[in-house]
Amino acid sequence: MIWTPFYDAVHGCSSYLVGDEVSGLGVVVDPLAEVGAEEYLLTAQEAGLRVAWVVETHVHADHRSAGRELAEAAGIAVSFHHRAPVSYPVHPLRDGQRLELGDVVLEVWETPGHTEDSLSLLVYDRRRAEEPWGVLTGDSLFVGDVGRPDLAVSSPEAAVAAASAQFDSVRRLLALPEYVAVHPAHFGASACGGIFLSRTPHSTIGFERRHNRLARIEDRQAFVDEVLRHLKPPPEAARSIRAENLGLAVKAGRSA
Amino acid sequence: MAVSAQALWQMMEHGQVTVLDIRPQGAYAAAHVPGAVSAPYSRFGWAEAVRRWVQETAAGPNGAQIALFGDNRMLVEAAQRALDHSGVAVAATFDQGVEGWQAAGLPVVAVPNLTADELVRNLQHWTVIDVREPYEWRTGVIPQALKIPLGELPHRIQELDPSRRYAIVCASGNRSQAAAAFLAERGFEVSNLAGGMSVWLGSGHPIERG
Repeated sequence: MIWTPFYDAVHGCSSYLVGDEVSGLGVVVDPLAEVGAEEYLLTAQEAGLRVAWVVETHVHADHRSAGRELAEAAGIAVSFHHRAPVSYPVHPLRDGQRLELGDVVLEVWETPGHTEDSLSLLVYDRRRAEEPWGVLTGDSLFVGDVGRPDLAVSSPEAAVAAASAQFDSVRRLLALPEYVAVHPAHFGASACGGIFLSRTPHSTIGFERRHNRLARIEDRQAFVDEVLRHLKPPPEAARSIRAENLGLAVKAGRSA
Repeated sequence: MAVSAQALWQMMEHGQVTVLDIRPQGAYAAAHVPGAVSAPYSRFGWAEAVRRWVQETAAGPNGAQIALFGDNRMLVEAAQRALDHSGVAVAATFDQGVEGWQAAGLPVVAVPNLTADELVRNLQHWTVIDVREPYEWRTGVIPQALKIPLGELPHRIQELDPSRRYAIVCASGNRSQAAAAFLAERGFEVSNLAGGMSVWLGSGHPIERG
């Protein structure tokens, strides 16, 4: 399996190129405008991969995405959660769907909470094992934290409902085997997490189950209260960036 | 200058261009334009290597010119910029890939991939060529495989029987792609063992000690 993370440490954003060196097929997850479509294509080319899928784990509100540009250059449509409210043609993903790259397979899990259209992707390398090796958790489970539930909703009640959905998504993820590697979409400086968000970009299910102060809360109400209590102000320009990523606006401010 | 498949084919047939296929080697081995040379683009040393190669071969300033073949406009343009920068003129580019090429009704040289499971089931129908280096045969060799290191293949090609079907094997499937494409260009019926001996050994298929 080919595994190449792209970290933007300034904004705390992570994106990933995952591929199968035998089939020559790759998928790019959460491509960043800050990195640029060409960089993903060139890196894939140099790894012997053709970009066969571009997947967004959700419509981002904190940074501009390179998803459309990259997908267009690769001659494909961006894949999103089937409920993603984007205004351009996408390839819709549903729970349980498998993106087959060869022996490397990504399995789609719908993990709403941060947004209604949040996905996680289980990563299998079947040349080594039938069990999942890792999980791309998007903005559902972070290292030390969970994705904030308030950026894509417009009322405090909706934020409570989203936090409750996040509780279920996090529980589902933490039920994976403890050795499964956790690779979220954010770390460090990102405004999509709270005050516990680690500067470390990856972890394991077992470590987070034991030491993630929010994810380990087993009572739904306590989780919702705690998540909402620790909210930071929304990222600067969140609305305009989200609008741009939705395909509704041409230009947004610098990513926060 | 981006050209149509037909236009590029014409240029090739008239000996005006040498086509460099900039796609990853695996894509080239799977199917490529007859006569095209595999030169997977990378940002690290590629343009310089092409410049030296152009100087050392007939494709020099008085010989054929370089044309680029790819399946992605952004990558073809990046490769062309790199060559411009190194002072290598590019006469033509084509970025519609094998799909676009075949859609124009033009021929390709194809090397099918063979999985380890397919090969072990039908081993009697294949002559296996292991193109690894001698020290690598210690890890085990597919029973009855011919052992011809990649570098020796060009001058040992007369040992091969054009009526047989050859399965080409290396450690990971990379060198065997190159070897298979080389043989396919010369009219042999070849397949490539996908993933090479790492997959064969990992699957616990039979070996003999090399």
